[in-house]
Amino acid sequence: MKKGFITLHVNGDAHEVLVSSQHTLLDVLRGKLKLMGTKEGCTTGSCGVCTVNNGRGEAVLSCLTPALEWADQSITTIEGLEKNGRLAPIQQAFVEYHAVQCGFCTPGVIMSAQAVLNLTPAPTEEDINDGLAGVICRCTGHIKVKEAIRHVGEFGPTP
Amino acid sequence: MLLPEHDFVKPATLAEGLAVLRDAPGDVRLLGGGTDVVFNMRCRLLTPDTLLSLKDLPELQGIAVLPDGSLQLGAACRLTDLVAATVLTERYPALVKAFRAVASRHVRNLATLGGNLCLDTRCWFTNQTKEWRDAKGPCLKTGKDVCHAIAGAPVCVALNNADSPPALIALEATVTLASSRGERRLGLQDFYREDGIRHTVLEPDEILTRVTIPPTTDRLVFLKETARQGMDFSYGAIAVRADGSGATASRLRIVLGSLTTAPRLLAGAAERLAVLGLGDDGLDAACATLRDELGPLTNLYSPAAYKRELARILLRKAVLELREMQA
Ligand SMILES: Cc1cc2nc3c(=O)[nH]c(=O)nc-3n(C[C@H](O)[C@H](O)[C@H](O)COP(=O)(O)OP(=O)(O)OC[C@H]3O[C@@H](n4cnc5c(N)ncnc54)[C@H](O)[C@@H]3O)c2cc1C
Repeated sequence: MKKGFITLHVNGDAHEVLVSSQHTLLDVLRGKLKLMGTKEGCTTGSCGVCTVNNGRGEAVLSCLTPALEWADQSITTIEGLEKNGRLAPIQQAFVEYHAVQCGFCTPGVIMSAQAVLNLTPAPTEEDINDGLAGVICRCTGHIKVKEAIRHVGEFGPTP
Repeated sequence: MLLPEHDFVKPATLAEGLAVLRDAPGDVRLLGGGTDVVFNMRCRLLTPDTLLSLKDLPELQGIAVLPDGSLQLGAACRLTDLVAATVLTERYPALVKAFRAVASRHVRNLATLGGNLCLDTRCWFTNQTKEWRDAKGPCLKTGKDVCHAIAGAPVCVALNNADSPPALIALEATVTLASSRGERRLGLQDFYREDGIRHTVLEPDEILTRVTIPPTTDRLVFLKETARQGMDFSYGAIAVRADGSGATASRLRIVLGSLTTAPRLLAGAAERLAVLGLGDDGLDAACATLRDELGPLTNLYSPAAYKRELARILLRKAVLELREMQA
């Protein structure tokens, strides 16, 4: 199809959206569902700021995948991590460790970090490095980010 | 930037997909994970009339050990699933290393085996935005008879930059190609062509459905050289497989990747090592064959002299690693 309605399950809600073959998943999240947390960066797969989680909780690049491929699939974006007004443990840890500088890449970095924790709740150094290799913070670096992930891995959610 | 408009088709079965491939008007492009195709569509290197999504085809899924001990991998298997498969991590750690060398987890969570094997060749001039390319006009690959990367190149010399082919060729893997006319199976080394434009023998009505690896207890080493660690295309990669153990081997298979348009099987170097052993003499003799065996190399991405030196270094490092391994 060139254009048609598909159902996307985003952050637990089912959305019926009119999607064209010209759209990537990123275009639909931002342009149609107005979920502006997910950012558009390089659009070549190199920077990782468009990272969302698929139905298995894995990190995927929403800029490199056609939206129509996602019919009936589940996606979690940065907006979906907070529950009942409470930040997710990884978000809280980012606050506490100041793992943010300008903030542009932060949604992509947090969704990458969340994916690491989904796959390995107590991640090793290698798990963390492997999980962050696809996303780049240009302001500063990954040290604080890694500390935040390690914190959640060791202590779980902060009370 | 929006993707070029096309008809997006997601068939439920292989037969249905093959029929679309045969009957759909215009240019049909197969879609695995899309990590190469979507990028190339955005750059307007690809403007297909139809995108045929293979990702959910049941016939292209699964990792299976066949009764004869061969390993069969579906072309739509994601690289992530191959990296996590215990049959692979236990029996073919170096092959898993090659799959893991591809891009980042973010990409491997989308990318498929078929897509990696069929990854289009790459060139620093052509693999750019349309605006960049328009400054110099079309090249051999995009419709004119001139190469903007290597002056006077008679054919497109874009490189095969995929990480999994060398290891799979070393393992003598075969690929199965299906079409509505039937099925054929060939050695992966015969799948590639020395032509950056038609870089595989895949016919327009064919789909790569699976990869089969014959059983073996041989040792295998895979190495990839990159500018950066983490996520980067390769400057050069090598896979070396050998029987025997320690410094003795009677049969070797050496494959270089990312230096040429088709992955390169090095029969001469393998023969030297089989005759002289994996000691320093054998290694020196094997390295001495490389210049002739590689033949002329282009300066695409890195200078030819650098590529030759890199080939030698990769062979040395791989054999040193192999020497430490028992069968
Ligand atoms: C930032 C970035 C870094 C990368 N780094 C690497 C790297 O280090 N190493 C590397 O090898 N690659 C790398 N890649 C390229 C690419 O992501 C991988 O090669 C990936 O494995 C391609 O798989 P895919 O399923 O996404 O392919 P797709 O984009 O879906 O397809 C690629 C090609 O294969 C064809 N195809 C797909 N499936 C089949 C099939 N079953 N039968 C016949 N043809 C088929 C398509 O038509 C297309 O021509 C990188 C990409 C990006 C964006």
